[in-house]
Amino acid sequence: MSTLNVSNITDGTTTVGTSYVVNGSAKAWVNMVNGRSTLAIGNSLNCSSLTDVTTGSFQGNWASSMSGSDYVSGGTCNNQGYSYSYNTGAGAGSKTASSTKTYWVHHTGGVYDLDDADIIVHGDLA
Amino acid sequence: MTHLWERLAEAKSRLAPVQSKYRVLFEDPSQPDAPAAVLVPDPNWMAAALAGGILPPIDTYLRDRDVPDGQPKEHPYAEPIGAMTEEEAIEYLIQKDIPPAVWRDYQGNRCILRIVPVKLIPSDRSFRNAWRVNQTEMAA
Repeated sequence: MSTLNVSNITDGTTTVGTSYVVNGSAKAWVNMVNGRSTLAIGNSLNCSSLTDVTTGSFQGNWASSMSGSDYVSGGTCNNQGYSYSYNTGAGAGSKTASSTKTYWVHHTGGVYDLDDADIIVHGDLA
Repeated sequence: MTHLWERLAEAKSRLAPVQSKYRVLFEDPSQPDAPAAVLVPDPNWMAAALAGGILPPIDTYLRDRDVPDGQPKEHPYAEPIGAMTEEEAIEYLIQKDIPPAVWRDYQGNRCILRIVPVKLIPSDRSFRNAWRVNQTEMAA
């Protein structure tokens, strides 16, 4: 593997520091599929495994840890024509340097399994 | 030594993902009323484990558990280990992603961890929150 050592990137008009690129790229993401039958992982980056915790709750486990739990995680889903929101839950242990526990909450309040859901993590690697 | 994240990203670009034929079913003894959890190995991670030369020794993850947030961790720059079999990779993953209270410290009589073929995980999730680890022998 070769290394390109530059401090700025330009397209001829706009110039940005490489730190914007390094800090702005996602450090981990995972696409969960078949969450309403036998859960599997469709695609991912920097994920070692996924834990099926309970109905509507899944935990992403990261191969290369974040520096701490002060990172940002988000989620999206595509399911059943309803709107769901993504929660990282509450309480100690829901979000650690090496894992992110999620809950998928239906707009009526309950948690539900989803056929197609994703987690993405931005922040500093350890 | 390149960072583990870079090695994983590079491996993803050249290795075909490997869907494991196993799942790990476990109960957390600190939450006796919680249902059994199911660990699903990541296909890109499994490809890296089977290829070798990418993942750090499991010992580095175990030592890093005690490192406070924000402090340097050992596993990202540790010397990679060689290729594993799928079974060895599952054992590695158990130590990495399941709490030690389940696989190391538990002294009770219940069987709280099983490695099972995917086909033994129910596809009907109607009673997902009542799942427990079967205490009788299961056919493979």
